[in-house]
Amino acid sequence: MMRTVEVLFVIIIILGAFMIASQFAVLPSPRQIFGTNLRELAVSTLQTFDARYNLRRIAFSDDPDAWGDLQKALSAALPPNIVYNLTVFNIITTGGVVTYHMENSISNAEGDLGVDSEAASCLVTSSEVTFGITPEKIGGEKPRTLYILNCEDANGWWITGYTGQTLASDCYNLLSPYFETTVLVNTTEQLEFLLENSTQIGGTIQNAVVINTFGEAVPIPSNYCEGGSEQSKGYEGGTYAKYCHTLGVRTRLCNWTWVSIVGYPLYYVTNTETLKNYHNGYRIYGMRSVGAAGLNNFLRGIDNQPYSSSDNQWITEDIREQLEFTSEARDFSNYYGIYPAPSPMASRALPVTGPSSIEGNYDLARRATMFKLKTVSGSQYSPAATFSHNGGGALTAIGLTRIPDIRITVLDLLMYYRPQIYRSEFGASDTSRLITLQLSQQGGT
Amino acid sequence: MAGATIDHMVAITVLAAALLLTMGVYGQMLASVVAYERSREVAMKAVDLMDTICLGPGNPADWGQRNVTPTCFGLQDPDGSGYALSPFSLMRLLSSSGDQVYYNITGEWYSNVSWGIDGGYLLVPIDECINYANVSRLLGVNGSYGFQLSVTPTLSISISEVQSNPLELSVGVRGPGSPLSGAALSYLMYWTLDEKDPETGSPLLNFTSGSSITNSAGLASLDFPQINVNNNRTAYTIIVNAQLGGLYGVGYKSRETITSAGNIIPFVESFENGTVLLAHKWGKNDPDGNQGALHFNATFYVLSESFVPINVDLPNSTGLVNYGKGGKPFHQIQIPTYNVGFLVVAYCKGNEFGMVIMPWGLSTIGISLTFGGNPSGYDFVATELRQVLVNEISYQAKVAVWSLKR
Repeated sequence: MMRTVEVLFVIIIILGAFMIASQFAVLPSPRQIFGTNLRELAVSTLQTFDARYNLRRIAFSDDPDAWGDLQKALSAALPPNIVYNLTVFNIITTGGVVTYHMENSISNAEGDLGVDSEAASCLVTSSEVTFGITPEKIGGEKPRTLYILNCEDANGWWITGYTGQTLASDCYNLLSPYFETTVLVNTTEQLEFLLENSTQIGGTIQNAVVINTFGEAVPIPSNYCEGGSEQSKGYEGGTYAKYCHTLGVRTRLCNWTWVSIVGYPLYYVTNTETLKNYHNGYRIYGMRSVGAAGLNNFLRGIDNQPYSSSDNQWITEDIREQLEFTSEARDFSNYYGIYPAPSPMASRALPVTGPSSIEGNYDLARRATMFKLKTVSGSQYSPAATFSHNGGGALTAIGLTRIPDIRITVLDLLMYYRPQIYRSEFGASDTSRLITLQLSQQGGT
Repeated sequence: MAGATIDHMVAITVLAAALLLTMGVYGQMLASVVAYERSREVAMKAVDLMDTICLGPGNPADWGQRNVTPTCFGLQDPDGSGYALSPFSLMRLLSSSGDQVYYNITGEWYSNVSWGIDGGYLLVPIDECINYANVSRLLGVNGSYGFQLSVTPTLSISISEVQSNPLELSVGVRGPGSPLSGAALSYLMYWTLDEKDPETGSPLLNFTSGSSITNSAGLASLDFPQINVNNNRTAYTIIVNAQLGGLYGVGYKSRETITSAGNIIPFVESFENGTVLLAHKWGKNDPDGNQGALHFNATFYVLSESFVPINVDLPNSTGLVNYGKGGKPFHQIQIPTYNVGFLVVAYCKGNEFGMVIMPWGLSTIGISLTFGGNPSGYDFVATELRQVLVNEISYQAKVAVWSLKR
């Protein structure tokens, strides 16, 4: 008899274990498996309904017809076995405290949608509200000055359709918010002040950014020209390559970022007065060709190498295919809201590997790479980037084919310095609304 | 002694019975758990596949517009964000809904996205399509899961003739949930009325547009007093756009006529080059011998977001095709743009006129697509549904996924 009693005890224990195990072996809800993912369906519904800003227009509307249309559209768009509840909350900020006040709600179900419902939400802003942005000044506590060459006594080359002055104006509009001080260098005489570190030019010359808006030509002060009082800084051995070397040296010593907006940098020098009897070979007077020696000597100057009139080897490459933005450039394009024309071509891409590499030969580091590198004959070429020297100074070279797209220059500079943009609060009272869409599946298990 | 033995026997019997019963119940419970877990895996895979397909453009991002095989699969519009699908990537998927079409003149097989449904054709060379096996490999489910993707317009717009003289059309708009009442309709009507260009002999097109609103049953009536559908002397193509509260749909109807010299069927020849063959055909089975010539007039329209058609000049857009020996069985035209639009081809033989339409970009006339395997016969099929946009037209993307491991 005892054995039977013992066995009964054992059976009770086994059944107890079974019941406990059953409690813990929780099966997933059948709706979780068999039903569609309601949350993602709600997200995609909100996104697609707001694709042409209809949803936000209705969210800010008091028109009952508009809400009726939305209700009909939701009923038509969702499968018949799915019920919904769409609620719009007005975001009210009072004394820094944010509260959500229900503005309107539409549903095709009576009462609660149940515990198995899923919801998604989105924040929309009124189309009648403008949100301001405040850019950070480049340089922070030691703000950099932006100098834009706008010389009236200079001609441009490879800036077809523009003049240096119109491009200077565009540069000013796009970049000046990011700089504490922006100075337009309106004559070559003022350019001499800049090169001679004179206070007459205004701004802070050290650590400045200098944009040459004249394309492949660079303005030259009269005194730096042949026969001028500062000829030794600009002209030697029958060429103005010396001037480019001087610019390179100044870029290094003053820690400038020298910006070339299009084509082969420093290929010509221009001064419509002093060089008025010379042309660049294409009947553009006030300009003299320097050739490839200009860039080579600029790079020698920035790298503290001596001037060489014989260093005139052509180093850029013609990339005969459309360029592709780097992912970094795309990100910054969205961040700063600057959208250059897509897929340009580069006929003056600079070598970054191989025997002519400017990185190897002049101790430069490539930053702010705008386009993916291209390989030609085993060497890689960079169509647009900023090259910084560890001893000071940098060159932003946009080696694209004309006509120039100044937005690329601007974006590359912003990529290089990465100033923050502070946007105004989206939570400001009555400017934003929160829309929630709750979905539930009816019927089935 | 005997009592103890009986006690033991009873105890062992009861214990054995209890153990057997418990094991049976445990086994049943475990089997149920395993089945649930397998189903859950399939359901999770459906979510995973849907996200991959809808939220990434693939690589290269513009593979839908080039004759390349993507190295990474996704259908998101490279120029859009979120649930916006590329109308061109969708066009390159090998349709699994219609029978493939063989065109003996080019010797090519074509994916049949639409064969003459309401006069609409979308036939894409299989060589340029991305097939199910490739996509399965790219998605990493080859051999483990099967799937089927269907992309259908959220709004179904049906157009039918109520009266032919003068022409009156009934337009019905409904979604998967209910008819859409109060929807604003805009329409574009192209028609030819027994008129030919005296120089080329090609049909001349007329155009009108207008608007209407659907009633409580989602229906609207469109009247065209200037159009009399008189036997085969009149042909027309109408495209209707419906919108309400953020929901957009498009539908079409083209009066395709089989003349005594057959009709014209557009075949996409090359995505990358935008070339289309206007083939002289009688359907899928052509008759033997010379059957007469057809004059045609092809017009391409880019369709803007505001539903305003922009005519794009096509070189060699009029001409003649002749099926017979020594004839010209097809005529090649080139669509010089990668903007979405539609091609309207009007053709005639004598006094018989017909029209067909071909979308350039899946969404322009609201065509649906089914791609992938067949889920029938599998124990458990998980489905996933999302609302998507294809060039601003509301679509629903549905993925059905099943496990291939029995």
